Amino acid sequence: MTLDWSIVWESRYALAEGAKLTVMLTVITMLIAIPAGIVLAVMRLSKSRVLSTSSMCFVEFFRNLPLLLVVYWAFYVMPVFMGIEFSAFTTGLVALSLNVSAYNSETFRAGINSIRKGQTEAAIALGMSRGEAMRKIVIPQAWRRVLPVLASTWVSLFKDTSLVSVIAVGELAHVAMQIRSQTFRVLEMLTAMAVIYWLMGYPQAKLVDWIRKKYEVKE
Amino acid sequence: MSADDPMLTSHQRRGADLPPVVVYEEVRKLFGDFVALDGVSIQVNQGEVMCLIGPSGSGKSTLLRCTNALEVVSSGRVIFEGKPLPSNETEARKIRQRMGMVFQNFELFPHKSTLDNVAIGPITVLGMKEGDARARAMKLLDKVGLTDKAGSFPSSLSGGQQQRVAIARALAMEPDVMLFDEPTSALDPETIGEVLNVMKQLAEEGMTMIVVTHEMTFARRVANWVVVFDHGKVVEQGPPEQIFDAPTCDRTRDFLGHLGWNG
Repeated sequence: MTLDWSIVWESRYALAEGAKLTVMLTVITMLIAIPAGIVLAVMRLSKSRVLSTSSMCFVEFFRNLPLLLVVYWAFYVMPVFMGIEFSAFTTGLVALSLNVSAYNSETFRAGINSIRKGQTEAAIALGMSRGEAMRKIVIPQAWRRVLPVLASTWVSLFKDTSLVSVIAVGELAHVAMQIRSQTFRVLEMLTAMAVIYWLMGYPQAKLVDWIRKKYEVKE
Repeated sequence: MSADDPMLTSHQRRGADLPPVVVYEEVRKLFGDFVALDGVSIQVNQGEVMCLIGPSGSGKSTLLRCTNALEVVSSGRVIFEGKPLPSNETEARKIRQRMGMVFQNFELFPHKSTLDNVAIGPITVLGMKEGDARARAMKLLDKVGLTDKAGSFPSSLSGGQQQRVAIARALAMEPDVMLFDEPTSALDPETIGEVLNVMKQLAEEGMTMIVVTHEMTFARRVANWVVVFDHGKVVEQGPPEQIFDAPTCDRTRDFLGHLGWNG
């Protein structure tokens, strides 16, 4: 078998574009899923049964479906049932955001629950409202505790963006697969794809380790 | 026995000539089937230091928490400065701003510096400018002897220091009454004194204080009025000389005896 690595170099611009889209998908999804996760967690913990039940249903629904299915669902079913049609990129973003928001919600809920009740009581005893106590006292503390988990979610998300290639979003995996099928250079392209993902993912994983150490809760 | 018992003549009590700050009328509090408070009627006068003593689980802390509506009474009334505590949360918040509370476990905010812990109440609740609130906080840290720790975070302070900051935090709201919930129970013996000294100083300045405590020496020396609780009821109340030197009730004698109190 002869290998022709030149195909990788020749496709460098297309691969770079794909990598750019992968990063964008990750960043934008997280920018949506962090506030959404906080809102869902606060809803879940609220005294209103309507709010907490609807949040629980959302979270349990999207957390227990394979992401791949959600991607297909957003692409094929959402336009039919809800009359909403987006570009492939936006559709991918919607699917990823739904999934990651559900995970982040559970992360934030655990974080908020880990803050002693006495902290809220101390804030309320000062005359703060429950909302102020949550915003000024509980969430800032919960935030530090959940940062390492969020960082891990980030790294998983970065790799999971490859799943939106199935609806032809031109991110790194899709680009690499396309070049593979056009040139039949399967081994070279899969290897190149692995190397690029790894080179981008490894520093992020190291960053996660560093965050984990820095914000570890010492009690 | 109630506050208007003829045995307890009003001239014995500090602030008896002024309207009371807090009055509890037949306060009952249930947690499920458990009766935490069973018809408590007492009053707190202006400038008075009232110590609530009694065995664990006798209802002292619950009464304190009903005072600023952290717990809602099941029946009866808590009257603060002549008005019953409001049931609506927005109104209750205004009342809480006038009561400072100090907790057993300090509950300082660990993500904020000592100075910001003290300043956060005035900034968030009173809408005070940050500079003014920090200046007020600095004065209060000076009062509790901790100006050198203004920039430190709570985790680097000793228990006694943390509790002094917590007192300063409560004072920053310029409350009319201070509620202390076992303020020294979580402290190392060597730091209890510094907290009690700050409380004694506050009492001397005329602050109205309700103190749940197991520090009998403090109650004996600093309190103007002592209330003994057992099973959610007031078993005896009176000036400290009566409670500690000549208790009229067997239950009080038992309780003090168990603590090894011998005057």
